[in-house]
Amino acid sequence: MSLLAVSDVITGYGPTIVNRGVSLTLEKGEIVTILGPNGAGKSTLLKAIAGLIKPRAGNIAFDGADVTGLAADVMARRGVVLVPEGRKIFVDMTVEENLRLGAYARRDEAAVEADFETMLSFFPILAAKRRDRGGSLSGGQQQMLAIARGLMTRPRVLLLDEPSLGLSPLLVKEIKAIILGIGERFGASVLLVEQNAGLALAVASRGYLMQNGRIVVSGPIAELRDMSLMRELYLGGVAG
Amino acid sequence: MQQVSIAVDIFIQQILNGLSIASVITLIAIGVTLIFGLTGIINFAHGEFLMIGGIVTWLAVSAGLGFALAVVLAILAVGLMGYVLERGLFRFTLERPTNGFIVSLGLIVVLQHVVVLFWNPNQKSIPRPLTTVWEVGGVRIASVRVMVILITIAVVALSFRMITASRYGRALRASVEDRDTAALMGIPVRRYITGVFVLGSALAGLGGALLIALFPITPFTGGTMVMKGFAVALIGGLGNIYGAVAAGLILGIVEGFSAGYGFSQWTDAYSFVLMILVLIVRPHGLFGGTSGPRMAS
Ligand SMILES: Nc1ncnc2c1ncn2[C@@H]1O[C@H](COP(=O)(O)OP(=O)(O)O)[C@@H](O)[C@H]1O
Ligand SMILES: [Mg+2]
Repeated sequence: MSLLAVSDVITGYGPTIVNRGVSLTLEKGEIVTILGPNGAGKSTLLKAIAGLIKPRAGNIAFDGADVTGLAADVMARRGVVLVPEGRKIFVDMTVEENLRLGAYARRDEAAVEADFETMLSFFPILAAKRRDRGGSLSGGQQQMLAIARGLMTRPRVLLLDEPSLGLSPLLVKEIKAIILGIGERFGASVLLVEQNAGLALAVASRGYLMQNGRIVVSGPIAELRDMSLMRELYLGGVAG
Repeated sequence: MQQVSIAVDIFIQQILNGLSIASVITLIAIGVTLIFGLTGIINFAHGEFLMIGGIVTWLAVSAGLGFALAVVLAILAVGLMGYVLERGLFRFTLERPTNGFIVSLGLIVVLQHVVVLFWNPNQKSIPRPLTTVWEVGGVRIASVRVMVILITIAVVALSFRMITASRYGRALRASVEDRDTAALMGIPVRRYITGVFVLGSALAGLGGALLIALFPITPFTGGTMVMKGFAVALIGGLGNIYGAVAAGLILGIVEGFSAGYGFSQWTDAYSFVLMILVLIVRPHGLFGGTSGPRMAS
């Protein structure tokens, strides 16, 4: 039984349908990626999994339980947490407050303190900027903060939406190391949405390709890397 | 010399008067600004919440209860009313805050007429809960006004402490900043919305109790008070409770000052003149506001 199983999910906003029957799975300990061009419906799918929007149809199961349509705060408490596209850190709050918000729903205070210290050592830049306003951080620092804040919830599934967006190649390399460390250090499985195929192919073991709201290809990462469709879409195309 | 010292006496008294009324207005403004910040709903019925706080106080005191107990009853009754109205009405307008605004306009009429129906449209007053007037170096200070100011300071200080220092306050600020992302942290934003309605209503209930300790009220008192409350909330920056308190203080001093210098017939206009001037120069208020809730979906 998969840790996370999405079956035939349909989503939309008002009259528009975005995802037209999407199915995918995530096993414990895995890093899986969803690739696809802008507007394919990747973020919308993640929002549906995280509980920010309700699916119109289909099923989402987490850890064997049906979680379809549960609200975002309930999903976060259960251990499915989205680090949203565009980071969405709380700009008017300090770095420390942002991190502590991640632990809002937790009652294991000693473990929260320990995690807090772990984040500061795992993300040294956040330790240096601990008392600064979130809004004063650079894009890369904000992305680190968003990931660290997500990890403070102690997720079992971390949904990452385009963590490399707008970052320099050097920072993308840093994010790559962080994503690879999430499983070992924090015991979370990762569902990574990316337009940067280079990053996704380097960290994930399996992948799905989404187009026009549907999964068109899925398989082990080595197969995806070789696929002509992928080549057309990414390696020789939009993402260069 | 004599002339000058009389002027100073009057000035200090007028400032105290201004601040005591501004206290009541600040209590409304905090509720208005908190509810807007979290829900985007502009609750124009907040003045009626205040009026009902005054009516409850009047009923309780008329029934022979002490003023302190009457204040507690007013806070509880209006807080409960806020809870019922949020659960029963405003929660259905969260996706479209404009609908919440329209609902609040309807509520104004309903609440006023319910009060008129049961307790007639006449003025209502209670005996002053404190009658002592201190004479300090020729300045006459009515203790009831000092009481109103001190209670407001205590309540505002307590609210600030809750909002800045506690886990709940941090979650509330996060929800005001970005409702969806707050939910992603496991924060039950809906419950905070209910909580803010209850807190804002309870503060309006307190404001009503303090108002009737100063002046008689009618079922229609809410109108001018809420307009001033909005002026203060806008001057401070909608959604910004620090701004609301600072603007309340400014308004109190301006109103007191102007009344002390013989323009008292214009008192009601100052808050609006001030609001218009501030909004022309700084459209988001003196201290910067939020633009209402941000939603990702
Ligand atoms: N809040 C929204 N309201 C209406 N339409 C939206 C909203 N968010 C995204 N969409 C539309 O849904 C489609 C899929 O968007 P999205 O899921 O963000 O794609 P991706 O993340 O793959 O780039 C796009 O056509 C987009 O315009
Ligand atoms: Mg996207």
